[in-house]
Amino acid sequence: MFVKFFYTLKEVGIPVSPTAFLTLQKALYNGMVAGLDDFYTCARAILVKSERYFDLYDQVFAHYFEGVPLPEDAGFEVDAIARGLLEEWLKNPKKVADALGIDEEKLNKMSPDELIEYFKERLKDQEGRHDGGGKWIGTGGYSPVGHSGYHPGGMRVGGSSGGKSAVKVANERRYKDYSTAGPLTQANIGEALKRLRNLVPAGPKDQVNVDETIRETMRNAGEIELVFDRALKDRLKVILAIDNGGWSMDPHIDIVQTLFDYARAQFKEVKTYFFHNTIYDYVWEDPARYKKPKKIVEFTRNDPDTRLIIVGDASMAPYELMAHDGSIHISERSGRPSIQQLKFLAETFSHSVWLNPVPASMWGYTHTIMTISAIFPMFELSLDGLEKAVTKLMAKDTTPAV
Amino acid sequence: MNQIVSDEFQGATKYVLDQELAAIVNISMRLEMPLLLKGEPGTGKTMLAYAIAESLGMPLIVLNVKSSMKLVEALYQYDTLTRLNDSRFGDSKRDVSNINEYIKMGKIGQAFAADQRTVLLIDEIDKADTDFQDDMLDVLDQMQFDIIETDQTIKARHRPVIIITSNAKKDLSDPFLGRCNFHHIAFPDPKMMRKIIHVHFPDLDTKLADNAIKAFFSMRDITGIEKKPATRELINWIRALNADPDFRVKDLINGKLPFLGVLFKKSPDYEGAQNLTSRRRLF
Repeated sequence: MFVKFFYTLKEVGIPVSPTAFLTLQKALYNGMVAGLDDFYTCARAILVKSERYFDLYDQVFAHYFEGVPLPEDAGFEVDAIARGLLEEWLKNPKKVADALGIDEEKLNKMSPDELIEYFKERLKDQEGRHDGGGKWIGTGGYSPVGHSGYHPGGMRVGGSSGGKSAVKVANERRYKDYSTAGPLTQANIGEALKRLRNLVPAGPKDQVNVDETIRETMRNAGEIELVFDRALKDRLKVILAIDNGGWSMDPHIDIVQTLFDYARAQFKEVKTYFFHNTIYDYVWEDPARYKKPKKIVEFTRNDPDTRLIIVGDASMAPYELMAHDGSIHISERSGRPSIQQLKFLAETFSHSVWLNPVPASMWGYTHTIMTISAIFPMFELSLDGLEKAVTKLMAKDTTPAV
Repeated sequence: MNQIVSDEFQGATKYVLDQELAAIVNISMRLEMPLLLKGEPGTGKTMLAYAIAESLGMPLIVLNVKSSMKLVEALYQYDTLTRLNDSRFGDSKRDVSNINEYIKMGKIGQAFAADQRTVLLIDEIDKADTDFQDDMLDVLDQMQFDIIETDQTIKARHRPVIIITSNAKKDLSDPFLGRCNFHHIAFPDPKMMRKIIHVHFPDLDTKLADNAIKAFFSMRDITGIEKKPATRELINWIRALNADPDFRVKDLINGKLPFLGVLFKKSPDYEGAQNLTSRRRLF
């Protein structure tokens, strides 16, 4: 029973397992499911193992039982709409601005990529405030913007398109908030960084080493000889360098702030430095990048085992990275181009990563991102990327990627 | 299998249960699968296990998972030091040659060995590492484990009702998820919250309750709050409001919110909330 339902779930990308499906069959066979409402809850509890897929499940459920059209590609719906909006914007800026209720002037100053990001933010924003707003945007199939070009009377961003009625609960799409990868929250980051630690014996010897105790007692002809060890403590050193300068990082300040807050709480030995766009001769200990400069060459004094995490969008004019006098600060023109300094850092710390708040799909468009990602292993500043970065940082034998 | 399910879970005296969750709890009990609960802090994940235990009249065994925990600690402990000591000095009543005297059951072991069916709450599983989680699920799947020292197999006499909670946003490992049922508890909406408050304060003035809940939800919406107040905070807050003889419901309506420290535990949050409420009062 419901084999097609199962396969539809699989097709839209929910990781459902045959075992779980058999469990569901068992539940059905034993008469534990009475009616469609029960089936909705039970099948979800048994088949779907993460709240991130609850929304997709709702959509498939509504599709299977009520014939509500499925979105063509659920994962990319916001992207697609944002791109649709951009196209529309290029044709007729005023209409889009009016439809979304945003300032045309402000948008005029943005580049296409920024516009897309901005639209995405706007779209997410509207979902948040619009209660039960599944139909507002993002329901791909019957979403008016971008997909089909169907917009009578201007941008019918919020209009309904006469989709069929649906199972009410499923179509309310209450779990929409959980469905996208979502912004990084402190808990998220904590989870990802949890594995970033290095346990070494430290502190007083207060743990009994049973094996050694028994061995020593034997040697002592049965006279008890207790052997104590130090407890394992985390002694990982972390250097966090954050790009906090320039308008290009502005959209990412929140996410970086969260990372920074968490890092301070998590690691005992974390040093935080700030820089603008890229690193030249100095980084600064104060966010204003004025009072406490620190010379890059002095970093060699740190333990080479220190983990270096650089956070920045790596987006700048190519000469800032390559030229001998690329720095916009006149005082730090030592003649070494930034790219040399970055290579130097990568050589100094064999465990280093660059976290980039710019989505990985956009990296190819920026020359400097490509250049820097050849020096540091670069990861997207998202839950997935963070996890990969942590794996990289904790890998045993990382050779400097130079 | 059916004789175990003598009773359906209906909710307990201090726990407000929504229908969806009740159905999921019941089906998990009947399928004899652990139920994994996720949700933000304060949505009553832990309380659910207490409520199930209360309503079904089963003893509750709580395993609080810690980050350094090894699976064996949850199953049993072999007290080598005491045995070593006893063998050396021989002044205890224990029989040193009998290893069983030095084996103590851990929480999972207790649940297996209990005379009646129990509710086993495994709290905050996400704190432990993945190996722990997977190994534990093996034990819970097979409902038995071995005590290596005595070569004994401990089998569950009654299959416990297993509730597992996790705070993590990150998913647990696939084999783990494959073996449990899953539910995500969303934060209660204002309507649900009113019911919850009613359960805790049956005699509370409705006007006070309504306004407190309204104020509570508007404060959860303040941007930039690091730790949003949860149900627990609201209950304590109402308790505080109730206890204050000078407090009038009118104050809440006028935007004067006393005892913000009960709701906001972090100082930047507290200041933020205070600024906002005092500003609102001016207008």
